[in-house]
Amino acid sequence: MLNITNFNNNILKNITFNIPSNKNLIILGSNGVGKTTLAKILCGLTPSNSVTINNINPSKFFGEQRAKLINYIPPKLEIFDEFITVREFLALSSLTPHITIDEALDRLQTTHLQHKACQTLSSGESQLLLIASSWLHGATYTIFDEPTANLDPQKMQLLFALFKDENFLQSKIIITHNLDLAYKLGFDILFLEKNTIKYHGSSEAFFEQAYLDTIYKKSVQKISNNIVVKL
Amino acid sequence: MKKLILLFAFTILIVAPFLGQIPIVPSKLLDNSSMDYKIFFELRLPRMLLAFFVGGVLALGGLIFQTVFRNPMSTPFTLGVASGATLFTAMAIVLGFSSMSSLFAFVGAMGTVMVLFMVASRFKSYDTSSLLLVGIALSFFYSASLMVMFYLSNLQESYEIMRFTMGSLDIVGFENIYLLAVTAFLLLALIHHYRYELKLLLTSYEFAYLKGVNVKKINYILLFGVSVAVGVAVSLTGPIGFVGLIIPHILKTIYAQSADRLIFPIFFYGGVFLVLCDLIARNLGTTTDVPIGVVTSFLGAPFFIYLLINKKQ
Repeated sequence: MLNITNFNNNILKNITFNIPSNKNLIILGSNGVGKTTLAKILCGLTPSNSVTINNINPSKFFGEQRAKLINYIPPKLEIFDEFITVREFLALSSLTPHITIDEALDRLQTTHLQHKACQTLSSGESQLLLIASSWLHGATYTIFDEPTANLDPQKMQLLFALFKDENFLQSKIIITHNLDLAYKLGFDILFLEKNTIKYHGSSEAFFEQAYLDTIYKKSVQKISNNIVVKL
Repeated sequence: MKKLILLFAFTILIVAPFLGQIPIVPSKLLDNSSMDYKIFFELRLPRMLLAFFVGGVLALGGLIFQTVFRNPMSTPFTLGVASGATLFTAMAIVLGFSSMSSLFAFVGAMGTVMVLFMVASRFKSYDTSSLLLVGIALSFFYSASLMVMFYLSNLQESYEIMRFTMGSLDIVGFENIYLLAVTAFLLLALIHHYRYELKLLLTSYEFAYLKGVNVKKINYILLFGVSVAVGVAVSLTGPIGFVGLIIPHILKTIYAQSADRLIFPIFFYGGVFLVLCDLIARNLGTTTDVPIGVVTSFLGAPFFIYLLINKKQ
């Protein structure tokens, strides 16, 4: 169980919720509302006393035990050394013995990139690499921060299938602006507005047209089972 | 290419102690009462070993600082460690403790590290760019203090301080070499022990942290290890700049591998580079040896720029 209780800082106010380890969650909210801040607090990158995962505060523990609790996949791959290859990068994430690097490369259709230096990948390829690394890491909770931002339509379908697969990571927390993806995944929704939680509940209730109209000020519409932005 | 460089490196290491103002005849080394024997074993060999280990330590120090601070310009010299050693040596000379200048240099280097750690512990979160700025501020403070030392010193003392800041590999006998060699091997062992963490640090702090690494602790251990080794090196030779900056970059360009796989090559070629520079300094035909710091910069800077231009193309 992941718990955050009464968290406050200069960006977020009164944040309290929990996620059981067999549940997935989608975090929505406008730009600058604090989604990434929340993600970093949950995984301990920003230290806080308000978070516990299986009764452990992730910012106070180190070692593989902590690593296996929670992982955060940033929107962009940041890498300092210019010569680390895709395969070497994945080897660093290999904390799950029953998944091999070859399987991870194959599943994300990135086998042809394995000997390339990470710094030379395109933004879409980097995103696939990060997702492959999350599978090898295999934490109980994995937070994906805008995982689909740079993907082409086919890769988007690939990722959607992965997120739908219950055997692909235990609990997935996905931060996204892609409402159609959020709707089709059907995971519970946490909606942030004005620095606090405005909605936390089922996908069905959130994606009622009437509720969408109040939250998004009539800028999105449900058309034949798709969530579309009015342009 | 790599094999050719290795062959060249070994040739330098073998040939270096034989060449100098007095060339050594190999056959005379069998006679332990000959002048050649004395020069070879009491001057040339210790000098070459000193150059090798100091070069290795400085190059490895550069690699670690560049990794920890994520800044290609970082070396132990950037954080004021070398300036601390220089200032304290100047103090030893001015205060009349010239014979203990090595000890003073070491205290200066370590004192700087202590100050840095004390300041760093006051930061709320681990922040390498602030630590780097503290190091730069300290360097300026030391430079100003060094000016005061020059101001207070007489002509003879000024000359001594000046020579120390240029760096020198003059050494007799093996006493200090043992200390330096042990320090160098301990540093190598330390870095080799933490190579997995080092590789994680070569990606990003966040990535390393999420894999369970205590980033702050590992960074401090590595920085402390390097600072002790550099402190020992600088206390024996004075500050020799540039090796720590260029050798890691050159090796990375030649090998095209991530830095964690270059720990031993960087140490080895750092050592060979300084032996080569010393070989040149001793064989220019001048009445006294050209200061080693001059040769490292004269040789290193153009080659480094050439490599950078080639890489960009």
